[in-house]
Amino acid sequence: MSDNTGGRPTTFLVARREVRMRMRSRVFVGGTIVMTVGVVVGIVVASLLAGRSTPVRVGFSDGSQALERSFSATAAAIGASVTVSDIADDNAGQAQLTAGTLDVLVTGSATAPTAVVKTAISPSVESALSLAAEATRLSDAGLTPAAVASAMALVPVQPLQPPNPKDTENILASLALGIVLWIALGQYGNMVAQSVVEEKATRIMEILLATIRPSRLLAGKVIGIGLVGLLQLTIVGAAALIAVQVTNVAAIPALGVASILADVVWFVLGFLFYATAYAAVASLVSRQEEVQSAVAPISIFQIAGYLLMYAALPNPTGPLATVVSVLPPFAPIVMAVRMASSDVPFWQVGLAIGLTVASIVGLTWLAGRMYTNAALHLGARVRFMDAFRG
Amino acid sequence: MTDEAVSSIGALEIDDISKRYGAVVALDGMTLEVTAGEVFGFVGRNGAGKTTTMRIVLGVLGADGGEVRFAGRPLTFEARRRIGYMPEERGLYPKMRLAEQLTYLAELHGMSPAAAMAGARTWLERFGLIDRANDDVQSLSMGNQQRIQLAAALVFDPIMLVLDEPFASLDPVAVDVMSAVLREQADAGLPVIFSSHELELVERICDRLAIVDRGKVVAQGTIAELRMGAAERRLVDVPNAAVGWGEEIPGTTLISREGSEMLFEIEPGTDDQALLRAALATGAVREFHRVEPSLGDIFRSVLQEGAS
Repeated sequence: MSDNTGGRPTTFLVARREVRMRMRSRVFVGGTIVMTVGVVVGIVVASLLAGRSTPVRVGFSDGSQALERSFSATAAAIGASVTVSDIADDNAGQAQLTAGTLDVLVTGSATAPTAVVKTAISPSVESALSLAAEATRLSDAGLTPAAVASAMALVPVQPLQPPNPKDTENILASLALGIVLWIALGQYGNMVAQSVVEEKATRIMEILLATIRPSRLLAGKVIGIGLVGLLQLTIVGAAALIAVQVTNVAAIPALGVASILADVVWFVLGFLFYATAYAAVASLVSRQEEVQSAVAPISIFQIAGYLLMYAALPNPTGPLATVVSVLPPFAPIVMAVRMASSDVPFWQVGLAIGLTVASIVGLTWLAGRMYTNAALHLGARVRFMDAFRG
Repeated sequence: MTDEAVSSIGALEIDDISKRYGAVVALDGMTLEVTAGEVFGFVGRNGAGKTTTMRIVLGVLGADGGEVRFAGRPLTFEARRRIGYMPEERGLYPKMRLAEQLTYLAELHGMSPAAAMAGARTWLERFGLIDRANDDVQSLSMGNQQRIQLAAALVFDPIMLVLDEPFASLDPVAVDVMSAVLREQADAGLPVIFSSHELELVERICDRLAIVDRGKVVAQGTIAELRMGAAERRLVDVPNAAVGWGEEIPGTTLISREGSEMLFEIEPGTDDQALLRAALATGAVREFHRVEPSLGDIFRSVLQEGAS
């Protein structure tokens, strides 16, 4: 069965029109710019707030100044970030503490120093100071530097398992991906709904249906808007990746190639699922004002998916996360987040994809049927069962 | 895949189409034929089934029974795509440019990109809108939007025209343009069918027409043929006739009276000379002549017959 006589396939024509019209619209151009700027600014701000852990400023007065070198070395060994300075006397040091230009003032002798602070001291700085004083005492007691070093050696730590690269930073990154995915699915799904109603509202539907099969019109629309969405996401995503690289705010594994590809797959599947559902219910109404109430039943699933994402994230391998992430309405968001934040068994990913694809096929059939029966009913809202039966 | 060539010349046959909406019978054995090269008018009251018939021809509605044929063969999806259609509810994309919109619709109807662009150009030039090819449809005046709507039905070299109320709310100049286009397309060999409530226009433009009522054709033919079927009329001017004269002359019906002028309908088989004699009996007869029934008269009398 061929659908074209010398011309191009109708689905292609419809999709191309959607792409052209949307990319030309101010909504698309402005929206892309606003989203890109927003994401980049957000990442830069996050890096400024979180990235800079300022070193602790430690001042040594009088006799304690002999500790400085040993303290610096110990602090470096246990991973405390410090700067060291000489303070003329205790009064000057306390004045600096009060003024906030100094965090810790070390007084007394090298073997029995006292740390003066405004309110509290960080545990690692306290440990470094104690260890440095202890080394001095051992040295004073007559131990050779080698013996002191051996006595003061830190306990080696031997992890049984290699550290999980998908840790806290990853959870934040995958949460961010989940939110972006959720917003994108809602936004482009709604765009499809608006586009369906636009054709009913402007009455061009009848001319279209006289020349193209409803299922192809629907498919062209979904594909066209999906491509536009993918393009917009790619632009925003690329900007975000560049910003992350430049500011070095998060470790990249969560934003690695495999993870990004998985997100693209889940965006495509989720979009096909929701866009088809949105198109079907939107075909029941004839006016733009009615779109929101028509798509409400679908939105509920989407919002549920969003909330379940938060519920699943703290324990991405738990029973709730496992079950919810294979159910089609939630899989595109929850499974994407799970895959980014933990290692998901292959069969679960396969099951989720299989169920989602199967439900997309079913929805396409249902939507095509509803679309055909409801598309020419202008005016009053069409009841679901009437559209289904025809 | 080679398509069966869609023959570009052929007659449209609508054969015994029926359609119900629940308990409502919309079409009840609708049957008519529009031959290649003729302009065919479709008249009837609102709800008589005109729009439903056209939608079934276009395939946007399915029929419950009957068949639509073109050039002797059942109308396929391929052939349907090449019908120029103007639905009763006009519609275009308001935010799409004129040339782009016409090109898009032409391509949707199966034209190659180059032919579609050429077609769009031709019709924009024809309607004097080529300078506005890159303007949005919504920026056009109502009249120009209607021209684009017509161009949308013609841009892909259709094999047939099906126009639902094409003259509705057109200004007089646009009516002339529309009439000229319909005639020109019929002369090029297309069957052209349109519906209208403007009976004078239908009378002027159509080669043949069908009057439909309650889902079926109740009369069809040329205007002359329909007139032959209608009762003959005589206008009589009898200034001296008494009040009430003319109401009981055998074989005639008094239809209207204006001053001393009376309009009679003569029942078939009745001699009009009996009416003349009766008129002469009142005194002077200033006028006595045949009156051609207008399409409106025929329409009303046909529907009355159907109702009785």
